[in-house]
Amino acid sequence: MRETLRVRLFFVFGGIFFLLFCSAARNLPPWGSYRGPYGDVIARVSVYERHATDVVNAINYDYRAMDTLGEEFILFTAVLGVLMLLRREQVKVNEGEKIDDRIRLSLTARASAMPALLVTVVFGFYIGLHGQLTPGGGFQAGVILASAPFLLYVCENTESFRRVTSHRALEVIEAAGAGGYAVIGLAALALGVPFLTNFLPLGTTGDVFSSGTIALISACVGFEVTAAFLLAGYAYLQEIIAGETPEE
Amino acid sequence: MTANQAFSLTPLPVVVPMAGAAVMAGLRKWLSRATVDSLGILFSAITLAVSICLLSGAVHAPMVYWFGNWHPRGSVILGIGFVVDPVSAGLTVLASSLTLLSLVFSWRLVESGSNHFQPLMLIFLAAMCGFSLTVDIFNLFVFFELMSTAAFALCGLKTAEPAPLQGSFNFAVTNTIAAFLILTGIALLYAVTGALNMAQIGLSLGGRHDSLVLFAFTLLTCGFFIKAAIVPFHLWLPDAHAVAPTSVCVLFSGLMVELGLVAVARLRFLVFAQTFLSHEPQLRAVLFGLGTLTIVIGGLMCYGEHHLKRMLAYSTICHSGIMLLAIGAGGAIGFSALMIYLVAHAFIKGGLFLGSGILLHRLRGIGEKTLFGKGRSLRWTGLLWFLGAAGLAAAPPFLTMTGEANLFHQASDVGSSWISWACLLGGSLTCAAVLRVGMHTFFGWGTEPITDEAASIGELPETDAGDRRIFWYQYLPTAICMAVPLALVLRPGWLRVASEACARFASQAYMLPLVYKGMASSGPAPVLSVATADAMWHGTVALVLAVLLACSSVFRSRIRRPLRLGAFLERRLTPLRAMQSGHPGDYVLWLTIGVATIGLANVLLFS
Amino acid sequence: MPHVLHLLPYLVAAWLFFCGLYGLVSSRHLVHSVICLAILQSSTYILLLGIGYRVGGVAPIFADIAPGTVTVDPVVQALMLTDVVVEAVVVALLLAMVVKAHEKSGTVSPDELRTLRG
Repeated sequence: MRETLRVRLFFVFGGIFFLLFCSAARNLPPWGSYRGPYGDVIARVSVYERHATDVVNAINYDYRAMDTLGEEFILFTAVLGVLMLLRREQVKVNEGEKIDDRIRLSLTARASAMPALLVTVVFGFYIGLHGQLTPGGGFQAGVILASAPFLLYVCENTESFRRVTSHRALEVIEAAGAGGYAVIGLAALALGVPFLTNFLPLGTTGDVFSSGTIALISACVGFEVTAAFLLAGYAYLQEIIAGETPEE
Repeated sequence: MTANQAFSLTPLPVVVPMAGAAVMAGLRKWLSRATVDSLGILFSAITLAVSICLLSGAVHAPMVYWFGNWHPRGSVILGIGFVVDPVSAGLTVLASSLTLLSLVFSWRLVESGSNHFQPLMLIFLAAMCGFSLTVDIFNLFVFFELMSTAAFALCGLKTAEPAPLQGSFNFAVTNTIAAFLILTGIALLYAVTGALNMAQIGLSLGGRHDSLVLFAFTLLTCGFFIKAAIVPFHLWLPDAHAVAPTSVCVLFSGLMVELGLVAVARLRFLVFAQTFLSHEPQLRAVLFGLGTLTIVIGGLMCYGEHHLKRMLAYSTICHSGIMLLAIGAGGAIGFSALMIYLVAHAFIKGGLFLGSGILLHRLRGIGEKTLFGKGRSLRWTGLLWFLGAAGLAAAPPFLTMTGEANLFHQASDVGSSWISWACLLGGSLTCAAVLRVGMHTFFGWGTEPITDEAASIGELPETDAGDRRIFWYQYLPTAICMAVPLALVLRPGWLRVASEACARFASQAYMLPLVYKGMASSGPAPVLSVATADAMWHGTVALVLAVLLACSSVFRSRIRRPLRLGAFLERRLTPLRAMQSGHPGDYVLWLTIGVATIGLANVLLFS
Repeated sequence: MPHVLHLLPYLVAAWLFFCGLYGLVSSRHLVHSVICLAILQSSTYILLLGIGYRVGGVAPIFADIAPGTVTVDPVVQALMLTDVVVEAVVVALLLAMVVKAHEKSGTVSPDELRTLRG
């Protein structure tokens, strides 16, 4: 189909779709007047029932933990897919060959790269450990921690980044994080309660080590997300390097 | 095993494959191909065993399983629940058996991308099981996305294909838009009901049918129609099948597409049960219209294809249309028609795909012209191929005929017996295509086959050229796939149980107390037995017409010009074929046209 | 007739959905298509968060407020977190496909990649 015809047809039918959406929105409750029971019930009881002050995290890892298990495996599957798509059929880049692309950075950049990295790592661990108390948790911590080696790539050179992210243990860590979530759920099953029930002692509200399995699941997810993003980043990096080295 | 013990196994069909995939993916660099293959087969066999236990428990007493031990409080449902009734447990049995057969077929020979393939198949299985069992609408969306992501990843296995990754890209774009449509529908329903559990939403919605509920219905059904490859949302399916490995195509056509229709049925019977009470004929009209359009376009395009896997993909589209007619007919018998036809079609289509996989392995080609006459020595494969063709036409001994019998019974109950002609047309077109290919390949009859661009590009073989014998582990799954629909017909005791289970699934009055209290109330009235004479007649006529049509193509040089209907259909459908352009922008345009039209029809017909 | 401001977030969500679809239909570059998918996803975020908002409600974090204070809906925020992760990884997978397509055929324009015609 020619592009002009396609766009014109789209304006007609897309316009109809947009108008239908707007007319449906007219029957929505006015913005700012959330009425439904689900959120209110959970907000009222989650602090008492699960000793977790971050209700969103309690929902993610306890009330609707099955959704998060599925979501974690979506992440796992997508990274597996990226690794499979970008796998090297022939080894174009010799693993032993070192790429020397150390660029001339200013004194400020060189001096602040390592401190920035340390701050990122500490911050990542802080966010991960306090997920059940304040906004944070496994996913957020994983992304922050995964961004730390990218600081290395930007400020140092490819070799140090590659040393961190091409380690064989990374895939094992990712799989352990994903499998660990399932195992925690199965442990509940072994104790005779339904899958993913919070069976660990709940501790005191406000403590770091509180809210039972929520913190534990959050940690597993954190490991998995970190490893997943590093693996995906490394796969893309390999692709870029292979594109830049001249064909033999 | 007591019913209680069976129900504690409920999360296992989802968790066992997931955990297995994690183990296999983590250790894949250190494990040999044989180990990973065996682990894959082991985990899917365990899942199959667990699913069978669940099914036997569910037949006695269906129950609901709450994750995290979050039981409902009053009318508010806090946690995520899996409903284990014979329908959902039966779907998990189907999913695990098809995955097991596909993994056995891909033992050792099929390229697996350094052991990426088997964990992805297990995750795909876990997602399909979760999708069938869940009764929470957002959980349904999460498993839908997991199924889709695993499918996209599996499509990317053959990266050395001549056709670039355009097919998987089109597949990914279209199905991701489907996911967003579903999510928007979920958000709209959540806004008015404050609930995410399908039973609670159905209860809160009541008979409400203002523009919001109708738009949410449009979005949700169109999202699932995209997955179910209903016209005009079907364009991604042939492209995806052309690039996916054979064992993956088995799962796509066998179950993934049909799960979209199961989701639409669940929505219709549980969430929107009371919305259309006063507008049943209009709803039927919309669904029948879409179904017939799908049958016609799917069937015609199927006959015009010469790439084996694309042809089978189009036949899936056609049969998906037949199953949509079953949902449209509604009622308990309509739903049991859907489920019986689904099971039958899954095995027959799976067997046909595995057969084409054998042809690809042994004869190193997948286009009709490339394969012309080369399959003369493959007697068993030919036999299975022709059995599959007869099954597609719903010929008498096959289970598809029983499904169509139920469909015709319900259709005549609601006064729409004309749809039996649509089923006849669809069955004969797809059967004719498969017969034509079979006659060309296994007998070498007639003149040189017509070919087209896609078929001449063909496909690289999935196995090494070293050993071209056909192994027992390639024959066995194919034979099992063809034997199951026949066996199920010869021992019909399960039909009564299945019909009762379907009647209960289709009744909101039964499902609500089941979900809220976990107790099955006494079911709806027992189902009458369905007469099969009409369907037997239709099936035989479809088979005869298919043979005639295939012959008019194969022997086209020996018959007079006006009778060459088959050749005409193969060559002259250019405007229709132009729709399948391969351009993602076109596909999204057709998607928008479909959603806008269906949405407008809903608003005009149901307010 | 409800005031437009009562519906503004929902209308924005509808508009974003429309824009994303338009981008996909008229796209000439596969990476551009992938970003339009991300725009489609953003429309669902806005819709979800708009639905859960409550005027006068605070964030559902009870670390420093008394339990029982009126908060906004925490459930949609949890749903959105799930969505964000799903979107990020699907975009990553799609971009890997685009990279591979470019490597195999040297082009990222959908018009030139059409070997799968019907």
